[in-house]
Amino acid sequence: MKTMIKDEEKTMMKIQEKAIPKKPIIDRSEVVIKLENLTKKFGNLTAVKNINLEVYRGETIGLVGPNGAGKTTTIKMIAKILRPNSGRILIRTNHSELQDLAKISRTISQMGFLIDIPALYNMTAYQLLRYFANIQNYPKDKIDQRIDELLERFKLSEWKFEPVKNFSKGMTQKIGIIQAIIHDPEIIILDEPQTGLDPLARVEIRKYIRELQSQGKTIFVASHMLYEISEVCDKIALINYGSIIGFDTVENLALTLKTSELNCELLNSINASELERLIDRLAESLDPYLDKNLDPMISKIPVKYYPEQQGFKIFYDGKNESKGEILKILVKEFESDFTVVSFTQPKTSQLERVYTEMVKDNDAKKKSILSGGLVKNE
Amino acid sequence: MNNTKENLTGIKPILYTIVFEIKKQRKKFYFFSVIAIIIAVLLGYILQLIPSFLLSDTQAEFFNTGLQFISFLTLFAACLFFSGIICSEFDKKTGFIVFPKINKYKLILGKYFGNLSLVVAIVTIYYFILGFLGFFYYGGPINIRFFYSYGVAILYVIALSSFVTFFSSFMRSVNLTIISTLIILLIGFTIVDQIVTLIFAENFEPLYSLAYLGSLITGILEYPFPDPRFSEFSFSGMGPGGMGGDFTFGQWVTPSIAAGITLLLVFIVVYFVLAAYLFKRRQL
Repeated sequence: MKTMIKDEEKTMMKIQEKAIPKKPIIDRSEVVIKLENLTKKFGNLTAVKNINLEVYRGETIGLVGPNGAGKTTTIKMIAKILRPNSGRILIRTNHSELQDLAKISRTISQMGFLIDIPALYNMTAYQLLRYFANIQNYPKDKIDQRIDELLERFKLSEWKFEPVKNFSKGMTQKIGIIQAIIHDPEIIILDEPQTGLDPLARVEIRKYIRELQSQGKTIFVASHMLYEISEVCDKIALINYGSIIGFDTVENLALTLKTSELNCELLNSINASELERLIDRLAESLDPYLDKNLDPMISKIPVKYYPEQQGFKIFYDGKNESKGEILKILVKEFESDFTVVSFTQPKTSQLERVYTEMVKDNDAKKKSILSGGLVKNE
Repeated sequence: MNNTKENLTGIKPILYTIVFEIKKQRKKFYFFSVIAIIIAVLLGYILQLIPSFLLSDTQAEFFNTGLQFISFLTLFAACLFFSGIICSEFDKKTGFIVFPKINKYKLILGKYFGNLSLVVAIVTIYYFILGFLGFFYYGGPINIRFFYSYGVAILYVIALSSFVTFFSSFMRSVNLTIISTLIILLIGFTIVDQIVTLIFAENFEPLYSLAYLGSLITGILEYPFPDPRFSEFSFSGMGPGGMGGDFTFGQWVTPSIAAGITLLLVFIVVYFVLAAYLFKRRQL
């Protein structure tokens, strides 16, 4: 009987593996992009300030920050569209030595870029993509096949011979993504790839990024869309006022938070008449693990019921052990009150809070520096 | 072997860009070709059908009349083909897509030669029709100076293209480049030339002026070649308010062949090199 279950489990796992491409292990020994004290000034404004960042082969890095934080400027410097005022960008392609980008006169054909909202020459999609593949030395005999494959993948096959001026914003964005990967580069740098896309297309892009990850590509994504970033990225770099204020996995970044949140979905909804009493009981039982210093801006109470989602949101102290204890209590002590069907830590909201908190801290630091008159020294 | 392969790989992006640029600008090319055909046919054929309009005595004179509009045609073609060559990449932000893919020098070379081939083709169409009509009216062989004129016209259009490319390298928008280059080439140079001639007369030849160098296109058709190249016109009469007297108005007819060709070549190289350098330095 046991063997049968094991066999079934194995088959299920195999099916799942087929559905989601397996992400290769990141090669921690090989840094492919290294930013060293990168600084860019526009007149008196410092757009990017002393950025240091290392990206390993096969890693997917998300660059998150508010408008004007320096995301696009950083990407433009990597693409050699802007020259840094100081610092350097080191690139490694084809497992060679790390090379200073400023000293490489040729273009890096192993890199693909999507910068800003793509502005395309008014030609047909086919003419454009063929030209971009050609100038990046993609094998001539494979270009047509590659174009067809990518247009098919992004559901643009019917538009192959249409001038891009007739394309919608979302379609133009898709062509923008295709042109970045048309020559099958090792390193892909995408600036706001989901801009202008409908939700379905966003899912498609996410899927495609995962496919690229499974092929071992190194990906660098800048985005406002925290959900998209948290779903696909191994690590996240939070950028504000041109400086990196945090760079780690979502989970590790969350550890810096005083509070963390858990979503607990229930099988049935709770009766309104019982709700108040139940929440009081929950708060009492979970008290040792709840966040004692919960920011009222986030929530006034540590246990909240959401009727639409049919579940609780629990703000706990962020410790890993606490999560297990909370689950135990919910399942055992409240067995007669409700049935827990899922118990998750939402990555997006976690990231949103990490992001908000770090940006807030950074803003506060800036203000204190400004009021202390230290800016003059800078 | 490897070196040859690398060199070829280095040239390939330029060749692809030339072909792409030709495809991109084909509508402009059709438009200017039609204009060139209309002007050539109008000046070379239709005007001759009017009874009061006498056919020139010689083939060279016929060509001279037919080529009166060539400087305008080349000027407008160069302005419209080359005004966006660099600044449109910045203005329309297409540079975000293309700059990371191809070295800027290769891109500008490809775009320059792509557009140039179209502009040269337009001039060639014009000369071909005029040459054909010259043959039709006067029989063969076609005057050799017509081919010299064609050579100068090609050099002139390349110089104009380099000039407009130079402007495009630092101007903000395509429209601004078109307007400013048209004003400079159509009015600016002419006004400055006249002021300079008024002040210095035959002592200073306006060789800095592209418009003046362009006069070699028709000047080279004349036999013998104008000598002296500076001519004076005198006239007398009463002016407004009782002002009157004798007036002498001087004009440089054409540069010498050697100086004209040399300077056109110098302008081609200097303006293009400056444009390429500014393009390389300019950030998006």
